[in-house]
Amino acid sequence: MARNDLEREVMAKLWDAGEALTVRQVFELLNRDRDLAYTTVMTVLDRLAKKGLVIQRKDDRAYRYAPAQTREEMTAGVMLDALSATPDRDAALAYFVGRLSPEALTAAIEKARNIER
Amino acid sequence: MTALLLGALGLTLSLLAPKLLATARWTDRAPVAGVLLWQSLTLTAVLCALGVVLAAPEEASRAAGARHPETVAALLFSLAVAATIVIRLIVSLVKVTSRARARRDRHRMLVDLLDRVERHDGLSGGEVRILEAPLPLAYCVPGRDPRVVLSDGVLKVLDRPQVDAVLAHERAHLRHKHELVMESFTAFYQAVPGPLRDKAPLDAVHLLLEMVADDAARRRAGSGPLRAALERLTDAVPLAEEVTADPEGESRRRRLARLEGPVASSVALTVAGTAAAAGLLVLPTVILVVPWLARALDAWPFQ
Repeated sequence: MARNDLEREVMAKLWDAGEALTVRQVFELLNRDRDLAYTTVMTVLDRLAKKGLVIQRKDDRAYRYAPAQTREEMTAGVMLDALSATPDRDAALAYFVGRLSPEALTAAIEKARNIER
Repeated sequence: MTALLLGALGLTLSLLAPKLLATARWTDRAPVAGVLLWQSLTLTAVLCALGVVLAAPEEASRAAGARHPETVAALLFSLAVAATIVIRLIVSLVKVTSRARARRDRHRMLVDLLDRVERHDGLSGGEVRILEAPLPLAYCVPGRDPRVVLSDGVLKVLDRPQVDAVLAHERAHLRHKHELVMESFTAFYQAVPGPLRDKAPLDAVHLLLEMVADDAARRRAGSGPLRAALERLTDAVPLAEEVTADPEGESRRRRLARLEGPVASSVALTVAGTAAAAGLLVLPTVILVVPWLARALDAWPFQ
């Protein structure tokens, strides 16, 4: 299984859990579907923590891991990054409907979220 | 004389021609030629600037007819100026590309993590990523390991043929490496000293590249679905309050307008535009070479 897929699944479990999980808990959640080594899960969590995507904290005897941002926050951040290209911030990405100012985008995300509810 | 001619050409190309090309509408029917013309215009303007810097002191010293220390100093100075121009452009290009790469790498990592695999539902292609967000949004992350990103708002607003048209559009950007074109113009923009900077070429080239991708997508998915996708995504992104002031609204209108007719591109205009782009690039050389040839021919009988 590709390394990216595993990282994505670990993040999904953490987001779904809604609370900080131990390596053991993540390991058990993942192993409902397949057979992974405990150390593999530990390595993935460690890597995600190094990237700043997951926060690690010592709780009693075990380390607990929680996402640094909710899925919604991270998605909004990614979309903001995608849309807010200006010549000063380099032409890194290409878009179908064109560029928005960060303010317009924040308003658009907000509005779309309200419609959803 | 050479320096004067080059200077005049350089000024025309950097002041007058961009204004004309930015407001031109024939480029909508020949977007590839439009991009080529912008590239050759920019490159020729740079070559002219270099030519002036190098030719002027040389000509002045030849007119003075002496090898004064002053003329040597002037020559060295002009060489230094030319070197500065070239180095500044190269540094800017390296900066822009490396920053863009870093940003894309991080972006790719994040969309890979956020991908909602279970919602792919038969969408073709392993590079597609789906974000969980109601705001309809479609874009690509170029590079060696590219991604096409859709929000699931897009999947809600568009039907399958329209989604395929959007994917075809983004894949055209990736296949034709449009990011390299945008990076080079961004690098040029940032290398120009602040007060002289002009964003018009960047915006014009960006729009032309969208049109090139539109043409590729229409060939694959048909203009009907593409047009519908463009309209629906535009409507879904609330911009109402700023449409009047926003040039983006105008570019969308132009993209939609050219998808209305049976064929958007004109072969004749494309050929003419491409020839003009090639001609433009050759001009400084002609200006330099012709007087030199004339002098050489003048000298011929006396040998």
